[in-house]
Amino acid sequence: MKSNSWRQFKAILRKDIVMELRTKEMVSSMGLYAILTMVVYQIALAEAGESFDVRLVMPGLIWVAFIFMSMLGLNRSFVHEKDQGCIEALLLSPVDRPVIFFAKATGNLIFLLIVEFLSLPIFSFLFMQGRAGYGNPVWLLAVVLFGASVGIAAVGTLLATMTVNTKGKDVMLAVLFVPLMYPLLRAAVGATFAAVIGGPGSVETFWAFMAWVVGYDAIMGLVAYGLYEFVIGV
Amino acid sequence: MKRNPLAEIMLVLGGLLTTAAYFMTFFWAPPTAYPDGRVDFAQKIFYFHVPVAEASFLVLIFTAYYGIRFLMTRQRIYDTKAKIATEVALFFVLLTMATGILWTKVEWGVWWQWEPRLTTYFILTLAVIGYFVLRNSTEDEERRAVYASAFGILVFINAPISFFITRWLESIHPIVFGGGKGSGLETTMLVTFIIAQVGMLMLGYAFYQLRLREEEFKERVEALKIEIGG
Repeated sequence: MKSNSWRQFKAILRKDIVMELRTKEMVSSMGLYAILTMVVYQIALAEAGESFDVRLVMPGLIWVAFIFMSMLGLNRSFVHEKDQGCIEALLLSPVDRPVIFFAKATGNLIFLLIVEFLSLPIFSFLFMQGRAGYGNPVWLLAVVLFGASVGIAAVGTLLATMTVNTKGKDVMLAVLFVPLMYPLLRAAVGATFAAVIGGPGSVETFWAFMAWVVGYDAIMGLVAYGLYEFVIGV
Repeated sequence: MKRNPLAEIMLVLGGLLTTAAYFMTFFWAPPTAYPDGRVDFAQKIFYFHVPVAEASFLVLIFTAYYGIRFLMTRQRIYDTKAKIATEVALFFVLLTMATGILWTKVEWGVWWQWEPRLTTYFILTLAVIGYFVLRNSTEDEERRAVYASAFGILVFINAPISFFITRWLESIHPIVFGGGKGSGLETTMLVTFIIAQVGMLMLGYAFYQLRLREEEFKERVEALKIEIGG
């Protein structure tokens, strides 16, 4: 039975990845969105001057970009399912509902991480050349990106499943998603800041914020998993 | 349609108690003072602000409870109850925001401060408003009920976070109860506060029951319309 669920999980995930490889819609639109956001950031920082320490605002800026980018991707991932009737087919097939949740959330997580790991070096390239570098090892940044993206993918998958059936679609997703994401984003920015600035005690601060991120992932992930079964059935 | 005398009693009693608490606030409870000896008149808003804030947290429990009941039973009445509970919560949330902002202007000199309690409460406000936006933009009735129940449960998770955050993090928002040294109240102040709090909860209960009855009447009118072929 367990291996059966595992096979179903792999099948749904493979479907999402194959579709993405063919259309390249999610990753390309999310990536383009991230780069466009950075162009806008250039305007935001234009008058700040050369001596301004970009690292002070960098954690906030990247997470703003990531949160809006993730909404774009999450919405895309369900518009397809709905328009092409894939959700109905999935519900008709003898697949456990939690499996659908895990497969969709994993797919979204993978695409999100790909774009995040591509756009972070671009951000450094555009804004941090010739300035003070990262204060702590870069792998700490990878830890935050992964930890926070798990929460974004879990809650986002639940909310996107709901909002795709509402009138507003992407606007609705923003209205519901941003308030619920607040605690996670706050902790993610805190952890990123500790990783970027460095200095004594920053690693402890980093892990304190990461504990917060993991707590959020665990609680909200479980609630989202519990509620998904009800939400996808209607 | 059965009348609910308890709701009406609670409405009158709640009205009396909150009014009594209002007079007690100004004529009975002693004024507090700043460290330099000036009278802290703005503190009086505490007897209104805290009762509505506590009520908003408590009412949200019912949003989540009826949300869970709805998802378990799929009976429409639980969705209606969850919706009305959230309406009452929104009423208290907005009052809390309004009184809180007045107080911060006097006490902190600014209308708004991004401080843990204020921030989490603001997020809670947005989420409660989002609950109604979600309801209004979902057309299918069953779908609306399921989505609203699920989102109501998610919104509720914010309530304890907002309540306990001043105890977890460094915050300039006052902690009156159980906040270590300097917290707690004199007896007269405590009695005034408790009367205000109980009155506010009674009002909340009355609003909830009366709104529920209104909703039931509405459904009955709709049913009658269909019956006579209108």
